Amino acid sequence: MITLVKQETYKLLHKKSTPAVSIALLIIMTVFGVLSKLYPKYWSAKGMFTTMYTGGSWVVLFLIAACSSIIAMEFQYGTIKELLYRKYYRGEILVSKWITMLIYSIYFYALVFVYSLILKVVLYNGKFNLTDTYANNQSIIETQFMNLIGQFLSVWLVLSLVLLLANIFKSTAAAISIGIIGYFALSVVSGLMFVLMQKWDWLKWNPLNMMNLPAQLTSDTYHKMTLLSTPEMICGSLAYTAIFMAISYVVFKRRSV
Amino acid sequence: MSDIILDVQHLNKSFGSKHVLKDVSFSVERGHIVGLVGPNGAGKSTIMKAVLGLFNYASGQITIDGDAVSPTSHQAMDKVGALIEYPGIYPFLTGMQHLKLFSKETTSQDQIDEIVDRMKMTTYIDRKAKTYSLGMKQKLGIALALVNRPKFVILDEPMNGLDPQANKDLRTIILDLAKQGTTFLISSHILSELEKLIDDLVVIDKGQIVYKESMATLESGGKRLLVVKTSDDDKATTILTQNGYQLDQTAGVSIIETDDTKMADVIKLLSDNGIDIEDVQHVHSDLETSLLELLKNDKVKES
Ligand SMILES: Nc1ncnc2c1ncn2[C@@H]1O[C@H](COP(=O)(O)OP(=O)(O)OP(=O)(O)O)[C@@H](O)[C@H]1O
Ligand SMILES: [Mg+2]
Repeated sequence: MITLVKQETYKLLHKKSTPAVSIALLIIMTVFGVLSKLYPKYWSAKGMFTTMYTGGSWVVLFLIAACSSIIAMEFQYGTIKELLYRKYYRGEILVSKWITMLIYSIYFYALVFVYSLILKVVLYNGKFNLTDTYANNQSIIETQFMNLIGQFLSVWLVLSLVLLLANIFKSTAAAISIGIIGYFALSVVSGLMFVLMQKWDWLKWNPLNMMNLPAQLTSDTYHKMTLLSTPEMICGSLAYTAIFMAISYVVFKRRSV
Repeated sequence: MSDIILDVQHLNKSFGSKHVLKDVSFSVERGHIVGLVGPNGAGKSTIMKAVLGLFNYASGQITIDGDAVSPTSHQAMDKVGALIEYPGIYPFLTGMQHLKLFSKETTSQDQIDEIVDRMKMTTYIDRKAKTYSLGMKQKLGIALALVNRPKFVILDEPMNGLDPQANKDLRTIILDLAKQGTTFLISSHILSELEKLIDDLVVIDKGQIVYKESMATLESGGKRLLVVKTSDDDKATTILTQNGYQLDQTAGVSIIETDDTKMADVIKLLSDNGIDIEDVQHVHSDLETSLLELLKNDKVKES
């Protein structure tokens, strides 16, 4: 299994897009850091920091693309036969890809977290302290950390769906578009969803509602909208992720290549 | 250790309602080069994929070196190298990176360099694979199948896109490895090439094995002809027939050779009758002729 994860990492690192994406991320975060410094009217310094200078949103995009391509590229390049005919079990091949993506997502969030600290120190040193109270009786750093954890869990809910779709459609395009729409649809439909949930209580268990986790973790009133307690939401997210992964696993094992 | 490295018994496979492999049984002897031939869509690639544990089959047994092979049982694959249909290649890696990626821990850099050298890929092996031509990709695919020195190698149309020199190099490599004990199962439509390699032949048509024999048996079963070109073919035909020679109708004056046909006798007979001989040729029926004959007969049988 370690060999397989190493091989997946080797492929990932040798793609031109991999370093390019990390560099782009740092540049974008720097730009937003500088903009918020220049125009404090539009962006609050503390708010920018807690949302990691927009880094979190970009990471979602990059991870969706990476997850769909790590599966779909094997079908696209015809390398799936080479991967599968070896002594390894099929399940191991798939799981090695998941582990690689898990490592990649941890890397991204660590990068974003560390770089937002650096930006804070460079741009706003002395302007505010990380231990200042932000909202909801949480300090700034706590808020940021909760945001990070919440995003990580809800992103993996989307990623598990993307991994499944890439597996079914064997194409990056379908998986990426549905993943992105799924993630960003929340802001569009959440108003309607909350209304419907008041009417039909069971609707609160739908996967889109689980994606409100980052908001709920950083607010003490949000649970009135989502109708779920924070632990319920965390369990719900993990459960959906596990279900999508399990379907992926079955599909991959039964596939004829 | 038995002498059989691959054993396929009563293999059946359907894609939906299409019965693609019908009770396929054959075995491959250790150290032999076996040719798998048949028309397009006969099921050659499908057999190879089943042997590699790439999909489930309805019924049958496949064993490699005594270990059962199925999608959930892959231990035997450690001894196998394969190229199926077309090489799978990552455009963003170089040839060398591919070889490193797929080589086992036990495969040394020297072994990688050796196969690169023997396949004559040194000039472009460090270039990204997206810049490769068809034949370059094909060579890389073959190198990937061979790099771990597997005991058993499956090559599906390996000559695809190779130039004559590369064809010859490939032949030398395969024959060398076979001499050292590697077993090959090779499918190809280029019968003239295949003929120079294989020890045994398995012919498949519409998902059924229609023929499996050694090449020696096939060759001895074929017709041998003595084709003479003369100044007067009509007269020659008459004289030869009168003297008890069997003639083949296909082209010119073709005498069907038996064990006591002597070329000297034929020449003497004709020149005694005032016929000048311009050319004499021995013609063996080659694999292509034998195969076409075989498949033609089979169709007749079925209808
Ligand atoms: N994935 C698939 N789904 C449905 N039918 C398939 C599939 N793969 C192969 N077949 C069918 O199985 C039959 C055998 O195909 P196969 O690829 O084994 O032929 P082949 O002998 O390798 O032919 P060729 O000489 O053209 O390579 C064909 O009739 C083909 O249509
Ligand atoms: Mg084929």
